[in-house]
Amino acid sequence: MAAIAVHQFAQCITCHAWSPEQSMIALCPNNNEVHIYRLVDDKWERLHVLQKHDQIVSGVDWSSRSNRIVTASHDRNSYVWNLEGAEWVPTLVILRLNRAALCVRWSPRENKFAVGSGAKTVCICYYEQENNWWVSKLIRKRHDSSVTSVAWHPNNILLATTSTDGKCRVFSTFIKGVDAKDSRAGPSSDSKFGEQIIQLDLSISWAFGVRWSPSGNTLAYVGHNSMIYFVDDIGPSPLAQNVAFRDLPLRDVIFVSERLVIGVGFDCNPMVFAADESGIWSFVRFLGERKTSAGPKYGSQFSEAFGKLYGQPKHGVNNDGVEHSRSRGGIHENCINCIVSLGQPGISTTKRFSTSGLDGRVVIWDLENQADLSEYL
Amino acid sequence: MANTLRLYLTCIRNTLEAAMCLQNFPCQEVERHNKPEVELKTSPELLLNPVLICRNEAEKCLIETSINSVKQSDELENILTKKFLRFLSMRAEAFQVLRRKPVQGYDISFLITNYHCEEMQKHKLIDFIVQFMEDIDKEISELKMSVNTRGRLVATEFLKQFI
Repeated sequence: MAAIAVHQFAQCITCHAWSPEQSMIALCPNNNEVHIYRLVDDKWERLHVLQKHDQIVSGVDWSSRSNRIVTASHDRNSYVWNLEGAEWVPTLVILRLNRAALCVRWSPRENKFAVGSGAKTVCICYYEQENNWWVSKLIRKRHDSSVTSVAWHPNNILLATTSTDGKCRVFSTFIKGVDAKDSRAGPSSDSKFGEQIIQLDLSISWAFGVRWSPSGNTLAYVGHNSMIYFVDDIGPSPLAQNVAFRDLPLRDVIFVSERLVIGVGFDCNPMVFAADESGIWSFVRFLGERKTSAGPKYGSQFSEAFGKLYGQPKHGVNNDGVEHSRSRGGIHENCINCIVSLGQPGISTTKRFSTSGLDGRVVIWDLENQADLSEYL
Repeated sequence: MANTLRLYLTCIRNTLEAAMCLQNFPCQEVERHNKPEVELKTSPELLLNPVLICRNEAEKCLIETSINSVKQSDELENILTKKFLRFLSMRAEAFQVLRRKPVQGYDISFLITNYHCEEMQKHKLIDFIVQFMEDIDKEISELKMSVNTRGRLVATEFLKQFI
């Protein structure tokens, strides 16, 4: 079994994040609060409630080195929370947004974070020592619709965004005085802040969930038309692969390793995508087992018909009606909208990750004993 | 149940299954608002192509989808239906997903938002809508039958005096 822990925290969870040592979880129970839980004697105990936002919290991220939490909300604000003593103290971030903030993510060095918004802009926020607050620089151009997801390249400069206009874009976020010159490497070496490196126009529908591979060589994002896109060699001549699947669309993805991607979404069951030796990506399988549909299984077609005949009186009128849609029967019962990898800082690949969804559950998955996937790890 | 109805409802069910991939999505145009995009239609990029499923000339079903809401509108055949559905629409709160006023040109409309999908299980919601349509069909044919029977009885009684 790939799922090693399931816990019901609330009726519905919009997003979650783990503390650096993964003993605590911060999650938003579909309202304006962020709850922090800690595992004490196999029971999750609520330690803190972060109350500052006045609309639903859409994004939360916990920095692994500096132990800070950043939250973004539909009320157009974002806060950075610092643990001082036993209390989480908020610092308001001047986002200068006039629409909802939709997603937030710390940069790998944790000196910046990016906020995607419904104002068709991306805010890059950094700390200003002299004023003691977080200021934001806006990438105003380019986006034609809401920014649904942001992802940082491991070099701390490149930022990938997806938007409901169906495009995925990569920007340079070099900020003078925050980023050192030497961290600029590769194709981004002479780009200013807010410069668009590339625009990927692969999806015909909304694009969600974008992520870079651990090395930063591959970019993956998903479209609402049940497709996942893999792009290698971000730069002047990118190489793109589209993988279509027959199930409902995905919402978010993570890279488990350079060759293994997990996607989660409306099918309530994580999907595994892997690249073979030649780098061709394909759908492998669902991670969670589905329960087989109820009712007896018949060996052959004849005996099936026979069984139906005899089963008739029992089912009564129900048998005549339209068949009822199957319950998903997986571990999650509603759309999964957040997936977080549970890696230790410093180690690029991880075998564990957690998912949360509209059913209010947080599930921890482990790929340790999945024999068929071990070759990709 | 008639075979055509079964096919029709299965088609609607499958379309709804794909259409109801909804999420919380705040309004792009108005500050601090969160409204069903399928009703506002302010940003064309947030709407998907509508799907029209027809059983025959008189009965059809329109499914419109947006990023955070789905609107399903049905047109049914005769006058009895219209009266019956008006009665139901007036009690729309009890059904939660029933739209108080049907879309123009249709007899009954459902409006499903991301909040419904958060509170209720998706497959149960779809079951409800399909069951609702199936029951309406059954109810209407029973009504039709009883009106006919009643008409025949009345006519017989009335004509008895001339014998």
